Amino acid sequence: MEAGTASSGSGIHLPGMEIAKASKNRYEVMIGPAHPGSGHMRIFVEVDGDIMVKVDPDIGFVHRTMEKLAEGREWIQNIPLFERIAILDACNITLPYVRAVEKLLGIEAPERARYLRTLLCEINRVASHLYGMGIFGVFLGHSTLYMWAFGDREVFIDLAERLTGARLTHTYPVFGGVRRDIPDDFPEDARKATRYMRKRLNEYAKIFLNNPNIRSRLENVGVLTKNQAAELGLVGPNIRASGIRYDVRLNEPYEAYGDVDFEIPVFEEGDSLARAWARVEEVRQSLNIIDQVVTWLEKHPRENFMHEKFWKTAPKLYKDVYEGKISYSPKYRIKLMPIFASLKVPPGKSFARVEAGRGEIVYYVESNGDIFPYRVRVVSPSFRNVIAFKYVMPGHRLMDLPAIYGSFDYFPPAFDR
Amino acid sequence: MPAKVSQKKNPKRNPLGKVFAGNIGALAVGLKYFFDPNRITLLYPHEYIKLNKGYRGFIVLIKEKCISCSSCARICPAAAMRMLSVKVYNEKLKKYMIKKYPVINYNRCIFCGLCVDVCPTEALYHVPYHDIVYENMNDMILSLEDFQKEPENIEFKEGIPVKYYFDERRGLVKTPYMEELEKRNEKEEKNQKVEGEGEKGAS
Repeated sequence: MEAGTASSGSGIHLPGMEIAKASKNRYEVMIGPAHPGSGHMRIFVEVDGDIMVKVDPDIGFVHRTMEKLAEGREWIQNIPLFERIAILDACNITLPYVRAVEKLLGIEAPERARYLRTLLCEINRVASHLYGMGIFGVFLGHSTLYMWAFGDREVFIDLAERLTGARLTHTYPVFGGVRRDIPDDFPEDARKATRYMRKRLNEYAKIFLNNPNIRSRLENVGVLTKNQAAELGLVGPNIRASGIRYDVRLNEPYEAYGDVDFEIPVFEEGDSLARAWARVEEVRQSLNIIDQVVTWLEKHPRENFMHEKFWKTAPKLYKDVYEGKISYSPKYRIKLMPIFASLKVPPGKSFARVEAGRGEIVYYVESNGDIFPYRVRVVSPSFRNVIAFKYVMPGHRLMDLPAIYGSFDYFPPAFDR
Repeated sequence: MPAKVSQKKNPKRNPLGKVFAGNIGALAVGLKYFFDPNRITLLYPHEYIKLNKGYRGFIVLIKEKCISCSSCARICPAAAMRMLSVKVYNEKLKKYMIKKYPVINYNRCIFCGLCVDVCPTEALYHVPYHDIVYENMNDMILSLEDFQKEPENIEFKEGIPVKYYFDERRGLVKTPYMEELEKRNEKEEKNQKVEGEGEKGAS
């Protein structure tokens, strides 16, 4: 296997700091550090002629010390902080932190809040996949898909804006509930958006995935076998394209995922094309979930959006704001109790995971009863996916690098945290 | 019902061959959008989006409602909001007292809206716009007087207000928001009548 030989070298491997012996026909190519297509990442590629021999992703360019910063902030202040890990997937990224703290507090979000969280998670997943698809398109020189995907992403960002009040940094789930209920005209808008997107996905397939030019660049390129994917510990749509049936929504249903009806698409091939199709199919399932959740929210009365522990102490003004009786503030806003500003979480350790757009995200939270967390550990999906480059890319030609890179839908700020 | 796994495969290449199945299909879709494009571009300074009431934009203080509890300053994740001590004349006790009011530094604000949500008397509220230019960074640290006014938006004077609507066929459709335009025209007419000769917005 080329993968084995490529990884084993002599001496210590410190990326960027080693002195490489120049052999006759080998050149080192730097992809990055500021790549126009994706952001700040760097990949050291050693090429023999046109063929990649050694690929070394150099992580750490956008490191923001999130975990350390979290130790100096109060519990609720960390929610807007962790959003910055992957800003286009904000709800999915912060949800496990909220769930972990809820476990420590010994509370669980009520039913309506669970459905509202699921709704925003799926809207975010669609937006995140469309972003990835657009980057994938422009990496392969297909600017049409880039424009289309980013334009259609706007539809879902607009939906999220109507729900939460912000386009990307929603700060939507809070301990014990959510911050807003859906507006009155939201279900209709959401249904229009999903119907539009289903039709658009067929056109995406026509112009991009079934396009013979694109197909021949993706088919049998960057094949990740089932064993390899399991061995490297990859997550998300990337392993589901290699035939592994692993999805947190399936294995450990959280929020309202146990109640909605949807499928987890699993592909066998494991090549770049399968990874792209896995995302398209996943978007389709997400649209189904949005439809179901919106119907549920419409049918059920607007109550139970915040945990009893917090909401029962709410003064009359809070209920007036929710019902829209205050002229200058919008309707269906759920105000936070002043206790949130100085929340003390009982000591303990907890752990939560969620299936984000790019894969499983894990939070480990430790509290010693203070107003700050003692330790927060984040393992983001891109961090677990980036290692695949090292084992999948060698053996391919240099022109296949963007095809493989794009198909892994990998987001530099997410691995560096 | 929990999720189900559905086993799928990459769609096969069409037996009709590359040319018919792929290229022609892609070209047909491309041609369709060549003649009937899906445009959502906003010509920004000339048009601006009239955002919904729930949008989390700039924050305004209603001083009379503030009870100086400093919840907003404590919850602020970016330390943008601080409490300012002000001497206030108390008419009941007939003496000057120190009272605290929040002020904001827009250099730091991330518009998360936690301060507005945590305020127990609803003394803060959002205005539904966020595109405001300051001449220098010191102006972005608002004084107590500035914090009580709704910030002025220059686009509102000249640009055309636009709203995006959801559509099944087109996704988002950009439509001029006529109500807002009419409102503004009425205002201008009134101003012209009052001032005698109308000073048209030279800014």
